Amino acid sequence: MLSSVSANQAAFEQRQLTEKQAKQWLKAREKTVKAWIYLAAIAGVINGLLLMLQLAVFAFILQQLLIERQHLFAHLDALNFDYSQIFSGLFQVYPLLNPAQNYLIPAMGLWLIAVILRSIMIYLSQTLGFEAAAIIKTDLREQLLSRLPKIESAYFKQHSAGELTATILEQVEALEPYFSRYCPQQKLISLLPLLMIIAVWSINWLVAVILMIAMPLLIIFMALIGISAAATSRQQFLTLTRMSGYFLDRLQGLTTLKLFGQAQRELLTITQVANDFRLSTMNVLRIAFLSSTVLEFFSAIAIALIAVYVSLTLLGLIHIGPENPLNLQQSLFLLLLAPEFFNPLRQLAVFYHDRASALGAANLLIQLSQAPILTWSTTPLIHETNYCLELNQVSKSYHQRFILREVELQIKAGEKVVLIGDSGAGKSTLLRLFLGLETADQGQVFINGQSVNSTIASEQIAWIGQQATIFYGSISDNISLFNSHYSSDELLTAAKAAGVTEFSDGLTKGLNTLIGERGYGLSGGQVQRIALARAFLKNAPIILLDEPTAHLDQETKNQLLNTIEQLFKDKTVIIASHDPEVIARIPRKMTLQNAQLI
Amino acid sequence: MKDLIFFIRLFKPYQNWLISGIVLSLLTSLGGIALFSLSGWLVSSAAIASLNVIHELSMSFNYLQPAAEIRGLAIIRTLSRYGERVVTHEATFRVLAQIRIWFFAKMIPLSTGRLTLLRSGDLLSNMTSDIDALDALYLRLINPIIVATIGLSIVLSVIAYYHWLISINTLIIWMIASILVPFIFNRLGNNNAKAIVSLMANYKNQQIELTQGIRDLILFQAYSSFQQKLLHISNRLIETQRANQRLTALSSALTLLISSISLLFTLILISNALNTESITSPQAGLLLFCIIAGFELITPLSPAMQLLGKTQQAAKNIREVASLTPTIIEPKQAKSLPSIYDLTLNSIYFRYSESSAWILNNLSLTIPQGSKIAIIGNSGLGKTSLLQLLMRFFDPQQGRILLNGIDYREFHSEELLQSFALLSQRTQLFASSIKANLLMAKPEATDEELHQALLLAGLDNFIQQLPEGLETWVGEHGVKVSGGEARRIALARVYLKNAPILLLDEPTEGLDSETEAQVLATLAKISVDKTVIMVTHRPAGLEWVDHIYHLSEGDLKLKLLK
Repeated sequence: MLSSVSANQAAFEQRQLTEKQAKQWLKAREKTVKAWIYLAAIAGVINGLLLMLQLAVFAFILQQLLIERQHLFAHLDALNFDYSQIFSGLFQVYPLLNPAQNYLIPAMGLWLIAVILRSIMIYLSQTLGFEAAAIIKTDLREQLLSRLPKIESAYFKQHSAGELTATILEQVEALEPYFSRYCPQQKLISLLPLLMIIAVWSINWLVAVILMIAMPLLIIFMALIGISAAATSRQQFLTLTRMSGYFLDRLQGLTTLKLFGQAQRELLTITQVANDFRLSTMNVLRIAFLSSTVLEFFSAIAIALIAVYVSLTLLGLIHIGPENPLNLQQSLFLLLLAPEFFNPLRQLAVFYHDRASALGAANLLIQLSQAPILTWSTTPLIHETNYCLELNQVSKSYHQRFILREVELQIKAGEKVVLIGDSGAGKSTLLRLFLGLETADQGQVFINGQSVNSTIASEQIAWIGQQATIFYGSISDNISLFNSHYSSDELLTAAKAAGVTEFSDGLTKGLNTLIGERGYGLSGGQVQRIALARAFLKNAPIILLDEPTAHLDQETKNQLLNTIEQLFKDKTVIIASHDPEVIARIPRKMTLQNAQLI
Repeated sequence: MKDLIFFIRLFKPYQNWLISGIVLSLLTSLGGIALFSLSGWLVSSAAIASLNVIHELSMSFNYLQPAAEIRGLAIIRTLSRYGERVVTHEATFRVLAQIRIWFFAKMIPLSTGRLTLLRSGDLLSNMTSDIDALDALYLRLINPIIVATIGLSIVLSVIAYYHWLISINTLIIWMIASILVPFIFNRLGNNNAKAIVSLMANYKNQQIELTQGIRDLILFQAYSSFQQKLLHISNRLIETQRANQRLTALSSALTLLISSISLLFTLILISNALNTESITSPQAGLLLFCIIAGFELITPLSPAMQLLGKTQQAAKNIREVASLTPTIIEPKQAKSLPSIYDLTLNSIYFRYSESSAWILNNLSLTIPQGSKIAIIGNSGLGKTSLLQLLMRFFDPQQGRILLNGIDYREFHSEELLQSFALLSQRTQLFASSIKANLLMAKPEATDEELHQALLLAGLDNFIQQLPEGLETWVGEHGVKVSGGEARRIALARVYLKNAPILLLDEPTEGLDSETEAQVLATLAKISVDKTVIMVTHRPAGLEWVDHIYHLSEGDLKLKLLK
């Protein structure tokens, strides 16, 4: 019991820590685009000031219409009738143009100017924030993509391609509303309400005091409830993702469920799970919704208080507050401003889940940007040697288990070697050391006397794995890997030599046939032929093959092995394999067993 | 539209929740509007009353009742806001479960057969996000639209009661601001929205390719050009999003401009009405404040309009998949399974579609109960299809498959499936505990049986290593299980299921030789009294079978090798 409490405590602290980290990370990003965020916030503040002007003018016009009108009717009677007849139609519909009232026209003009400027400010505040987000998204993708090839290959085993893609695409996208809306709004909220209070104060300090009391009270209440509300909006987000994650998992496994006769039962389980999700989420939401209720309460109460106070003051029934009495314009202005005063805060509450999802995204992005990367010593070792490939006292271990222990290996240029061993014995690890995809814990790895790094490896070595990756594109694109500097003759020669043309000639579009995810499906042997063509085209002096025939049937395997022998007869070759037929063909055999090379 | 209506009908069991949500939302909005209008009226009345020279008149003004009403409305507004939030979310969660259950039930008959013909991995994850998109259907679409329609009708009728011309004028403003402007901008942004979806999909595909083939790309010095390609797509995506953002911003700027300018017209009308004394000053205050507060009802309509297209598309996609027909037809009156499991395949012809070549061509085979056979053949030559036919994922175009002399078509397919246990290259582990994954094969299994299964599958050591043992979570977000361990879990499931016929689809593919030997030994142990049908491309290690058949490309017929 005690241990579970401390485990919970640890988990809680861990969560606090990652949350803190995520916040710091977001803050650091925010700094890089400060200018845009402030510009967006300033546009928002100016919009708020213009809104006050608009309300003041509106109140003024109302004052003129409702109050002053009573004095104006006298003037109306004295109007020249001829004059009025000319414009009579117009006067009836638009009596505002009546010369007697035409001092309203400048007011209307002012109103119009305020409205037009406000429209511009709204446009600016919504587009400037986007620029901040755009810069951050581009920068992040650039950084992540440049980092990806340096990340240790073990990381890719733990994280699927789909997961990494989701991080770089969707999680980066999830940051957008945070930077484009939430951050500017947060800046705006620290200034605009203050300016509004100053404006209100100049009219009636008591109303300003009401708002001033409401504001901190509101913030305190929101903060109190908001602590859980923050967790909640995250909780709600998590619930939905988990729910659809669970659903997708069961949907994808439906065939298996049916095989076990569990499909109908799972239907009940899904109902149950959905209900549990709903109950637990609603428990949290019930508390979280209090924050929007508090906001609503203060906004509604402020309106009610101001309306009652102002009308009683107008009637002269109460004499609280400033000495000079309110007129209708001032009263209406105060009343109109009350809901607007709370609006920025309300907006921020709406944007609050942007922050929650940005924090979630930040967590994942931090993980990716902290993934272990390969590091090479800055001063590469060079030594005189006759050997093309060398391992010098190389050790490598995973999870405290030695895969390679003080391994020695020398291979001359042009030599062919087969590396034998069960899967998991470390054959691939050994090859990856030469390829610069992994680093040795101890010892040195040399290519032509130079200590290996990813640049040297990719220049000197061509590699063929168990199953080459096929990219969406034509067969020739897949041979050249979209490198445009190969001529079509070179491509054709490689395709012929590797036996690609044997099957591509049968296709109507030949080497231009589209393959990959959405294209023509290739058999395992055909894929490997494309891999051979790739390696041949690269024309590197060293060829490493990692179980190239693992997924092939007998006949295809033999054909492929013949091609391999022919294509790479002048190259230095290591084949890793546990296939007796492969082993039989290669003169020099080395076995990897118990982390030793025999 | 009919796709949306279809889903709305699905919500029927929760109509009380949905309607309560709408009523509360309506109460919140109308409460707010009434509060603001009444305040406007009170302030204007007070101002007029105070002007009336005789002091007693202002004293006689009844301010107590409206002041109390205002306080009451403030409280109604607050309480109904809370109620509305809780009830609409409750309704949303209920509806959300309903759609998922409905879809899952639809997928049960489709999952074997029909879905294997489509690229189901992608299809299902697309479906999941489409269903997620439908979550907004009630909260963001139906609720605001109904609330706006009813709310606006009430508000407009109240305005019309005082002055019909102002009411019509207001109606026109609101139509423009809530329907016309969003509609026009949706139209304008439509191409951008489509471009964004396709750019995202494009980016996703390329990024997945880049990640999967990262080793090939690095080693063939092609990474940086791929990286550039991706960044280029990302830039185009951001360009398009920027264009869209600008349209959205323009739309809100324009909405403000139009509604403010039209408020001027309202002012003019009100002034006219005041002039002709068809309304009083306090009424004018009430009407203006009512119109200003009424914008609250139409604000959610613009995002609803934006969502409409997306939700409609999602609904259409889901219905399209849900309305696919299963590949097999269940019998009206299913026969119960026999007690003897002799299998006979009678000159089977099979292909996946009319246009493709025969995969199985006049194939006949008898597999008496308890016999053990292996079928060898190169990859892609119909071995898997044969297993799918045996499990009745499909029916052959010609010929018959018989179980103890009875045609497959006379059994219910799910019942028939219970005669088989399958061990294949791919193990489906569910995001659950290891125990739950095992119990899937036999929900009523005792601890003793589970233990026995673990022992047989060689999993006991692995489980003991795990701090949480059998309760360890596997699958997504769980402990990573190696291919070998997954296969052993599958093996334990096969043992637990204890079905009379064992189907083995390359059961040792991808395993190291040690695990392979163990798996084969365990299979030999648990299959003593069972029929075994194994397909493989490797002729090695088949000493234990009675017959070996060769499925060859040339004649698509079985050749007896042993």
